[in-house]
Amino acid sequence: MNLSRALRRSALILAPVIALAALSGCASAQTADAGSGSSGAAASGEWTYTDETGKTVTLDHQPQNVASYADYALGLMSYGIDPVAIFGRVDVASDERFADYDLSKTAIVGNSYGEIDLEKLAETAPDLIVTGIYPTDREGTLDLTGPLYGLADTEQQTQLEKIAPVVAITVGGKGIDVINSINRLSESLGASADTVAAAKTKYDAAAADLTAAAAENPIEITQMYADADGIYVTKTADEPETELYASLGVTFTNKNPDGYYYWDIYSWENAGQVMNGDVLLVNVEGFQKDDLLAQATFASDPALVAGQIHPWNQAALDYASQAKHMTELATIIRDTKKL
Amino acid sequence: MLRTLTRRSPRAAVLVALGAAVIAFSFVSLMLGSNLIGPSAVVTGLFDPSRDVGSVVWGSRVPRTVLGLLVGFCLGVAGAVMQGQTRNPLADPGLFGVSAGASFAVVIGVYVLGTSSVLTTLWLALAGATVASVVVFGVAAMGRGLSSPVPLAIAGTAVSALLVALTSFLVLSDETTLSAYRIWVVGSLSGRSLSGVDAALLFAAAGTVFAAANIRSLNTLALGTELASGLGESLLRARIVGLAAITLLTAAAVAISGPIGFVGLTAPHIARRLVGGDHHWLLPASGLVGACVLLAADVLGRMIGGNAEVSVGVVLTVMGGIVFISIVRRGKMATL
Repeated sequence: MNLSRALRRSALILAPVIALAALSGCASAQTADAGSGSSGAAASGEWTYTDETGKTVTLDHQPQNVASYADYALGLMSYGIDPVAIFGRVDVASDERFADYDLSKTAIVGNSYGEIDLEKLAETAPDLIVTGIYPTDREGTLDLTGPLYGLADTEQQTQLEKIAPVVAITVGGKGIDVINSINRLSESLGASADTVAAAKTKYDAAAADLTAAAAENPIEITQMYADADGIYVTKTADEPETELYASLGVTFTNKNPDGYYYWDIYSWENAGQVMNGDVLLVNVEGFQKDDLLAQATFASDPALVAGQIHPWNQAALDYASQAKHMTELATIIRDTKKL
Repeated sequence: MLRTLTRRSPRAAVLVALGAAVIAFSFVSLMLGSNLIGPSAVVTGLFDPSRDVGSVVWGSRVPRTVLGLLVGFCLGVAGAVMQGQTRNPLADPGLFGVSAGASFAVVIGVYVLGTSSVLTTLWLALAGATVASVVVFGVAAMGRGLSSPVPLAIAGTAVSALLVALTSFLVLSDETTLSAYRIWVVGSLSGRSLSGVDAALLFAAAGTVFAAANIRSLNTLALGTELASGLGESLLRARIVGLAAITLLTAAAVAISGPIGFVGLTAPHIARRLVGGDHHWLLPASGLVGACVLLAADVLGRMIGGNAEVSVGVVLTVMGGIVFISIVRRGKMATL
């Protein structure tokens, strides 16, 4: 069984979401007083921030130039903190999630996982670099020896650290905790309490509407990624976003909440096991409707036959992104017929 | 009739036994999979496709059994022709750039069209394999000629290297292309249907005809090129026919499953031990051994993955390495 696990892991290591789990790692060993997680500007102008890995960064002034991984940049930008540089896993300029933001003054220094143009990044003279870290198991264990999320390896991380200190957002456990982590960082970087409160108001309204939609139309949603190997279904409690939506009353297909962390893979022979959803949310990076219809073992899926299938993007975990995503989901839920 | 035939020729007996093994493996391939349905349910599904189990049997087991047989057979025969043409026991059907050409075409397709559908991939792979092979042949023909297999192998290696570099460049510069490519390049029979396979089948059939037409030449080439031309063999014709066979067979296999290693390399070795070096027997035996090996590896991959599966390409890379080492270590590598 170990062999099969190892083989499968090696074969799948580049699949988009496994990359999150498998490549996650953590900051250098320079831990400091973990504990409080306090942050802010002291009277002297000194700025300190402790991230969830326990790493404390102290600077002589509040960072003005921030470089960030795309998903966390979205959160910062929603509070008016425009990063000087962004690196993403997909092409940032064409990433629809940035459609509402002006990127003309931002240097895009990476469009593919682990590929960061260090020289271009250094030219923007960042005071702080923001990226993430994914736990390696359900208990939230953080692998502090590997590279942080979005970075190719520890060597690249060392290079980044030479440009500016790196802090990480932990993306695991409860969705609201991840959002709060972005808020804490944003406030520390200068977002006012009022701005955050305003975003929260919109978020709360969207969340309430999502809860209402789920109550009006209690359907089951199958959120999946599919390719020639089969169907991947995340475990609701292991992905912060589905955990958040489930806590708001949304029902997801969740056949096997235990066992392997994060998701289960159903080979096409076993696709019949995940055919009880009323609507399919398919990850934009894998098989879409026509590809799914071409799979004989899944073609008879009721939701697919009924045309209740939507491409689904991975949203960032901040108030603004989530308010938008939840509104989209509420519309889908209301438009879905219970099968 | 069969009995007298097998009694008069032990090699015919081996072929009959291999044929029986292919049937046995096909049966096993229909019965076993990552969805543990009982044998009786499989039979029911086989005769009544409308039932739930029928969609698994007809939607997954039947296609991949048929495709496994086809891919294994093609790679086995192509490997035997390749090793005969180059008189090199380590020659692989991909040596003349066919696999690299197919890979590059698939990557271009994903990069430009943004599609990774199984059918489009199949057509792109067929086209890419053919073009690469023609280029390799052209490069070799422009140079020192074709009497020796060396210019072909060198041209193949050079073109492959170039294509692999271009492929890597595209794949590494675009994450979407990479994730589509990595699924294809592992080599798998999962998620394939029989639609569009008629094209690959046409390639395979044509390749088999060319291979059969190449048998006499392969036997004389085994004596050395000088002796072969002394015997009145037209080397150019022998090379063209052989290259056509290798290209068509490998293209069909690669298009269906993605590049799969070791079958084309090891199947001829196993076949040579069973029936000897005469290509009249070696070619069909290699094809049958290839089909058995591929089906066996695919079934194994389905069984060890739990709810998921392990790609046949991965299984073969692990198993094939071990098998190949044992073949080499037993010494006496049957001479070509």
